Amino acid sequence: MTLEVMVGNKAAATAAKLSRVQVAVAFPVTPQTTIVEYLNEFITSGEMDCEFINVEGELTAQVVVQTASRVGARTFCCTSGPGCLYMHHPMHDTSSLRLPVVMAVVHRGNKGMQPDHTDLMSHIMTGWMQWYAENNQEVLDTIVMAYRVAEDMRVRIPVAVGYDGYILSYTAEPVDVPEQEEVDDFLPPYKPKPSIMPEDLDLRRLRWWRTPWEEHHKAIVEAKEVIKEVNEEFAKRFGRGYGNGLVEEYRCEDAEAVVVAMGTIASTARDAIDRLRAEGKPIGLVKLKCLVPFPYEEFQRIGSEVDAVGMIDRNVCLGVGGVAYTLIRSAVYDLEERPRVLGFHAGLAGKEVKVSDVERMAEKTLKAARGERVSPLVEWI
Amino acid sequence: MTASRLIAEAVAQEGRYAQAIPMYGTERRGAPVTAYVRIDGRPVRRRDLVHEPDIVIVIDPILSGKPSVAAGLKSGGLLLLNLPKPPEEVEIGGDFLISTVDATTIALETLRRPITNTAILGAFSKVTGIAKLESLKEAILHRFPGEIGERNVEALRRAYKEVYPPKPAKGPLRPGEEEPPHVTGYGVLKSVADWRVFKPVVDLDRCISCRFCWIYCPETAISLVDEKPVIDYDKCKGCGICVHECPVKAIELMRETL
Repeated sequence: MTLEVMVGNKAAATAAKLSRVQVAVAFPVTPQTTIVEYLNEFITSGEMDCEFINVEGELTAQVVVQTASRVGARTFCCTSGPGCLYMHHPMHDTSSLRLPVVMAVVHRGNKGMQPDHTDLMSHIMTGWMQWYAENNQEVLDTIVMAYRVAEDMRVRIPVAVGYDGYILSYTAEPVDVPEQEEVDDFLPPYKPKPSIMPEDLDLRRLRWWRTPWEEHHKAIVEAKEVIKEVNEEFAKRFGRGYGNGLVEEYRCEDAEAVVVAMGTIASTARDAIDRLRAEGKPIGLVKLKCLVPFPYEEFQRIGSEVDAVGMIDRNVCLGVGGVAYTLIRSAVYDLEERPRVLGFHAGLAGKEVKVSDVERMAEKTLKAARGERVSPLVEWI
Repeated sequence: MTASRLIAEAVAQEGRYAQAIPMYGTERRGAPVTAYVRIDGRPVRRRDLVHEPDIVIVIDPILSGKPSVAAGLKSGGLLLLNLPKPPEEVEIGGDFLISTVDATTIALETLRRPITNTAILGAFSKVTGIAKLESLKEAILHRFPGEIGERNVEALRRAYKEVYPPKPAKGPLRPGEEEPPHVTGYGVLKSVADWRVFKPVVDLDRCISCRFCWIYCPETAISLVDEKPVIDYDKCKGCGICVHECPVKAIELMRETL
């Protein structure tokens, strides 16, 4: 291992290099652009043996990774905000064809250049797994893990790894870069399925090979077990785990209430929880790392252990509400003793989320846990 | 931005954790921007910006004279300015220390360009001791190999020697008494007037109302009043496209006086 000070985009490009990606395709878009630059630097200097294919837009980028993945190349794609939305249609195909493409989504909101999670969350029905990272180390580690999970024969589902543009993409901090041999041991070479080699090629199957909805849904749900397994193995090999791979609980012991956060807000929330714990307030943090497949079981267990949950959504599904808030409420509905579930919309369009903001949200959640009246139930920060 | 990255790289070499956060959108190179650095013995987790810094470093000589750069600076903190005069002559006052270095002159003499990123770091190292001169040198040479790196190291060393030691800030002007300087952000949201080196000025008598300037202005800083252009100088970045497009040379670029 070597410790290197790098920005989030370099961490993403480095992860693609360490994963021995063979075909990378992307159309540059702020704040993702420097991933493309770093990848090309690696390729030009000979550090990375990879074909970078220039395309005229994101729709083509997704079609090209799809095709490359189908013929047996390990592929990487990366995008942001509007570019992410432009590739919506082929993303359905990538997952339906069960191609293990991994894509970094450097969040950029749809109402400006600054980040929120609406770009990636707009793809919630595309059948891609969605994981969110809180720091540059996690960006690197998550992309490496994503290949292992996506390519597992029990899964074969593409993964989008989201991280906040600007807040991580351009922020430099020390990242522990694993040795190439360690990653090679963890990540075996990719084999396409079905095989496209002429001797066992079945053209009819190749052309119409679409996973039916029910089977597709079950495959993603069942991927949860593989995610947990891979996360555990990664932790053993590299000394860094991310909770159980789906959620990570931070200082939740004897907590009366928890706040739930995703991406960089979860990172800031750790400082807020430390401050509140120092004041003796029994409150913890749950980091929601994996949004799709949604960890219902984990939230049922957490929900049965606390009296209130406060979900901080860096998104809004217009006219519906916070995406994770809605899912958590749904998860705890069947419990005999349900916790109260509060919602917060924070950090939309890149609005700064301070430690004190999280402290205030956590204190409100704790009040709700203790039976006090809180209003409104869903609040815009 | 580069300075913040170099600080982070230098302290990481010394075994500490650092987070370097640049704040920018679609700025051009050289436009004033803000960058933040947090340094700690353990990994830094919070992701918000720094609102109450221990140290403020100003590398732009024009902004260096403005008291609002010290807004939020902690009591007993340090304000390090790029100015060609000793701290006693700085007009900013408050419950903090001021140190100065003529980084622009040092940069012009060593790099032959007014890029003050590396020079200011020598002064930072000397007055704070937070990053050792040697680790900053390593960080610079790693980022700029070859002769450019060597010249930047010379700038670093000279500023280390030439910086004025910190003195209590006794000037008459207090932070917060004027509008904060406009750095980072977009013309539609914030003024970008401080980006300009040159300012376009319209000679209305010569203007033939062809609307070319209005069409070509990339910042929509020009509006038409009675068919004549009116420039919103809060939005104008001084790019000069209107001057270039005007068919009758009715717009002229004038040097900004600050």
